[in-house]
Amino acid sequence: MAKAAVDNNIKELEKKQQWWWAAEKKRSKRLDYLRKAMWKKGAIGGIYPAGLQVDLEQGILHTQAGRAMEMAPDPWVVKYAKIFAHYLDNKTIFITDNSQLVGYVGSLPHTINWNPTVATILNAEVITDTTALPEPLDESLKVINDVIAYWSQKADADKLIPVADISDVTKILSGTIGWGVPMPRGGYSGKDYEFIMTGKRGFADVIAELDEKIDKADAQAHEPIANLEQMPLYNKMLNWEGMKITLEACIRHGQRFARLARIIAENFETDNKRKEELLQIASCCERVPAQTPRTLQESLQYDLFIQLFSRAEAIEGAWPSRPDYYHGPYYDKDVNIDKRITKEEALDLVGEFLIRAAEVSQYKPKWLREGLQGIEGTWVWTIGGVNQHGDDACNDMTIALLQAARLVRVSNPTFGFRWHPRVKEEVLRECFECIRQGLGYPSMRNDPLLIANSLHWHKHPIEEARTWVHQACMSPCPTTKRGFQSMRMANATANCAKIIEYVFTSGFDPVVQMQIGAETPDCATFTSYDQVYDAWLLQMKTIFSTLVRIVNYSRFVAQIYTPRPFLSGISERSVESGQDVNDPSISQGNSWITAFTWVENIDSLAAIKKLVFDEKKYTMAQLKQAITDDWQGHEEMRLDFVRNAPKWGNDDDYVDSIMLKCLRDCAAFSHKLQDPMGNTWPILPENVSGNIHYANVVGALPSGRRRGDALYDGGISPGPGLDKKGPTAVLKSCSKIDHITDGRAFLLNQRLSPTQLAGEKGFPLWKAYMETWYNLGLDHIQFNCVSDETLRSAQREPEKYQEVIVRVAGYSAHFVDISRKTQDNIIQRTVQGLVA
Amino acid sequence: MKCVECKFEGPVDKFRYMYNARIDASLSIRQCPNCQAWLAVDELNGTSKEKVGLGEAPWGKSAGIEGLAAD
Repeated sequence: MAKAAVDNNIKELEKKQQWWWAAEKKRSKRLDYLRKAMWKKGAIGGIYPAGLQVDLEQGILHTQAGRAMEMAPDPWVVKYAKIFAHYLDNKTIFITDNSQLVGYVGSLPHTINWNPTVATILNAEVITDTTALPEPLDESLKVINDVIAYWSQKADADKLIPVADISDVTKILSGTIGWGVPMPRGGYSGKDYEFIMTGKRGFADVIAELDEKIDKADAQAHEPIANLEQMPLYNKMLNWEGMKITLEACIRHGQRFARLARIIAENFETDNKRKEELLQIASCCERVPAQTPRTLQESLQYDLFIQLFSRAEAIEGAWPSRPDYYHGPYYDKDVNIDKRITKEEALDLVGEFLIRAAEVSQYKPKWLREGLQGIEGTWVWTIGGVNQHGDDACNDMTIALLQAARLVRVSNPTFGFRWHPRVKEEVLRECFECIRQGLGYPSMRNDPLLIANSLHWHKHPIEEARTWVHQACMSPCPTTKRGFQSMRMANATANCAKIIEYVFTSGFDPVVQMQIGAETPDCATFTSYDQVYDAWLLQMKTIFSTLVRIVNYSRFVAQIYTPRPFLSGISERSVESGQDVNDPSISQGNSWITAFTWVENIDSLAAIKKLVFDEKKYTMAQLKQAITDDWQGHEEMRLDFVRNAPKWGNDDDYVDSIMLKCLRDCAAFSHKLQDPMGNTWPILPENVSGNIHYANVVGALPSGRRRGDALYDGGISPGPGLDKKGPTAVLKSCSKIDHITDGRAFLLNQRLSPTQLAGEKGFPLWKAYMETWYNLGLDHIQFNCVSDETLRSAQREPEKYQEVIVRVAGYSAHFVDISRKTQDNIIQRTVQGLVA
Repeated sequence: MKCVECKFEGPVDKFRYMYNARIDASLSIRQCPNCQAWLAVDELNGTSKEKVGLGEAPWGKSAGIEGLAAD
């Protein structure tokens, strides 16, 4: 088709808001191939899509290496480093046709990597989840059984659980109050990007630093007169040795790709252009990760390698990064200064980088997949914001990332944009285009406010706080030596709806038939709202303490049981000190409690206060009965509790003051809860799709929900359809919260009308709304911008709407990959009309 | 309650409760134990109103200005 005809076609598709079809025509042939060749890994409603396979290679190689070293005298950190090295040296590698970036977490593009060293409870799930096992099944089962048997009692959780508090462990593993298990190699690893990504050193430079450290320590350890300073040196030398072994293995792994690319180019490739590309890959992988990158391609490849190596060592549920900040200088050099590549070529590379990230997949248990429907983890990449001096950090790479996102339309990674008053309109327009085109990202973050929040809660120095990235969906964390968080364990995630539920059951969980919360008095005897609130407070403290205690403990013992030699090797604090990266003594601390299903507490308390104690329409005994009956036979009463009690999100001080009281009591308690670094544990309300995962785990609530109903979609977002006073009322309710001192961050979902945002009027309308959001002092907001009509059509004919993306909670997903209940929950969110 | 699809009759709680898409409406989704159809059920009077198919929403459109958002 002639170019003019194609352009007209694109315009027509964009006019009809058929963004996927337009993107397909706008992107290059190479990018189109790569996007379509990508295996989508997100579990559909919790089940892996057909065609994917659990990868047994890491299990086999780790077990081989473990067995070979069974009798070796090496301590665990060195053994683990050698196991890691054996894996990277023998792992199957491949180069995708037309690609310019290489490396994958598994042995083949359609595989889901399985790391058997993390927990036998995870491994046991692999063997029972036979839908994704490779054929022939008998052979696979034999291998898996062997791997599981070998790692039993050697895997991280197997070592940690017996020495932890068994009561806490049982409560957490019940799956009612928390989400995840406390594992230092299963969660969200931040990176010391200021050490490893600023072009000052590659892995070979770090190895040289390690050699120097080892030589010096060795000399000290062998001084003729024995002294106490020698004592810590032995452990340090072992840690340094572990780091060195892993970094050397990473360099060899890069070189394997270089050789492969060169072999294909020189022996098999007949297309000259592709031959050139392959030689370019070879040159790139000869350079990184050993040396510092010189070009944008090398910089992206270096970053990708770091992420993949980290995933060879641990199960990573997030991807904390700041690609515009760290790759921006290379983009500028290649495109603007040296003019090595054109803007279009750079955009293509950036698009490929998004695709390479989107395909990464590590095996997760079903409950985790249900809570992250449609995606593999929360790859929320941070863009925008200010630099360490406080100046605008947006650059051409920021724009390239936003444009590339619209071309490749992957649902993961997504972006969180650090908004500040000096962001140029050109950049804001790019953000807006992504939102208008239905990607659901970037989420918008209030940069100055979140920097102040970091100073308040975790006392990061301001220059460090300004480097912040999203540690997972929401929480800011610096990328500096002491500031970066080496592991955030997901199980400090509270299913907060249980707080109010336990007020009615005196802490007894009716689902798992266990006493989990505090044994508060029978609520039927309560004669005042204060008694209800006191019980709520005690339940909150009990649940939070249970979750925090075991994470603290795991962090204390991580360096002994679950060292991370690779992550240590790319972290200044470990390279300098010889201590494992998770050692609390060398870290500032950046802990937080993720508060899932939070707003149910507020709407429930408001309903109790109003209908039971103010209006005296019901007694606590009647309410307890209705809750026990799951509202069955009490429908009129249930509707009364929904319709005639004030709801959060309507600028109503009655309920908003309850929100503030709850948050402030939590904040006061957060200062008492200490993490192993001596820092605080603020709460952070958000949800991923935990609101659906927990729907059958949480019983009836005074908010009017029954067991089985989706919980609210999270953070401080009002209940779907319950925010009836318009978008400004939502913002006003949320602005009553102090977003610095009341918690670490607060997720707000909003739905906008695609019709309203269409055409030239859309941007000024959205920008004015965003200025109100900023001026009111909110820290977060994210948007869905897809109509009811499109979403209902996608339910009817999913095959025609495979590429429709929606914002679920702290992440985006393809609409067809989430369960019907989640779909309906999203559709029922209020569509806010913006006022000019 | 009688299933509108297969006419199976039984007490409401025999029809498996799925969820309520709109918390402020008395309409919920239950599943017929006989034909497995998803039914829109009025919880106030315990009657099944209609079968809920793909893309159908007997509880109506989203709150807010969704009426504006035609494709």
